Amino acid sequence: MSYVFDLERSARGLRLNRFLHSLTQKHVRALFLKNPDDAMQGLSEQEKDMVRRLDWKAMQDHGASFFCLEKLARTKGVSNPEMVAHFRGESLEAFLRTRRVPGAK
Amino acid sequence: MAKIIGGIGTSHVPTIAMAFDKGKNEDPDWKPLFKGYQPVARWLQEKKPDVLFFCFNDHATTFFFDHYPTFALGVSDEYRIADEGLGQRPIPPLKGDAALSRHIAASLVDDEFDLTVFQDLPLDHGLHSPLTMMWPSKPDWPGRVVPLVVNVLQHPLPKPSRCYKLGKAIRKAIESYPQDLTVAMVGTGGLSHQMIGERAGFNDEKWDLEFLELIERDPERLAGMSIQDFMRLGGNEGAEVIMWLIMRGALRPDARKVHQNYYLPMTTAMAVALFE
Repeated sequence: MSYVFDLERSARGLRLNRFLHSLTQKHVRALFLKNPDDAMQGLSEQEKDMVRRLDWKAMQDHGASFFCLEKLARTKGVSNPEMVAHFRGESLEAFLRTRRVPGAK
Repeated sequence: MAKIIGGIGTSHVPTIAMAFDKGKNEDPDWKPLFKGYQPVARWLQEKKPDVLFFCFNDHATTFFFDHYPTFALGVSDEYRIADEGLGQRPIPPLKGDAALSRHIAASLVDDEFDLTVFQDLPLDHGLHSPLTMMWPSKPDWPGRVVPLVVNVLQHPLPKPSRCYKLGKAIRKAIESYPQDLTVAMVGTGGLSHQMIGERAGFNDEKWDLEFLELIERDPERLAGMSIQDFMRLGGNEGAEVIMWLIMRGALRPDARKVHQNYYLPMTTAMAVALFE
């Protein structure tokens, strides 16, 4: 079964998840929105790049927990259906067409 | 003596809280969801339980993977509302029942469930997204909550059978509390959904409806399944329905489902069920 968030994945993603989790703090969000590099100092260049590009799939594959990604998504005003569409490799519009109530997002 | 008067199974999708906070009661996209909670809200208003015992999970909000507990019981008299990236929801802090929590912690450890306990921590939507659909928060909450946080995020997760047994031990703990108060059990999560990988967006209504039957008539069968079974049938994240088994384990075996609502608008099947 793919993408199970187990201890191996959690260890691999710990640094990135710690940053994503820090966005539950208002002052970190404010700093990140104003000057992202200052807020991302603990991350590797590769990780910073994924975050800057909001590459949800790359972050997931790197070990990010979906629930930590949600913190970044809320900070940047991205909805869960947008993230899910990205994981599926399709546009939001294409994903919403597969849903029963596309307006309930 | 304290007594369990019934149980509620409910989804805890964050958009339920969003729809509530934005007042979407009459929005045609959300009305079927709000309608589905009305009988539960009425039941709570009539029965007036003193305490709701909530089995739910934190979403890497209050607890982080540097130290992630399998079962963690809140033992405070108050719980703040957590900031999940959008600031706090406009609802008052939750009222706890520290004395009851302490009794339950002691009873469960005596029963060989070696819990983590926590105090003075904020709680996320896993608890209060369904709560606001069932309990008025204005002018203040009508009762108290006892929160039990369950690890359904980082594998290995607790076995379904362990959850069911924990529910039975919680019943014993509550029924041995000397004070006369009434408790309703709440189990949250699900139903089918997967948020990650190529299978993101997966649902299975047929399995969901079967689950809603089995949780009433044959919870032992659900308890005998593996986490892998639940992930295959209900999606990776859908395996969190094992928290309904804690609620069900705390009810009498002959408890009957008196209400059910099922709504699958977007990525997660939203269900609510009431048991007496």
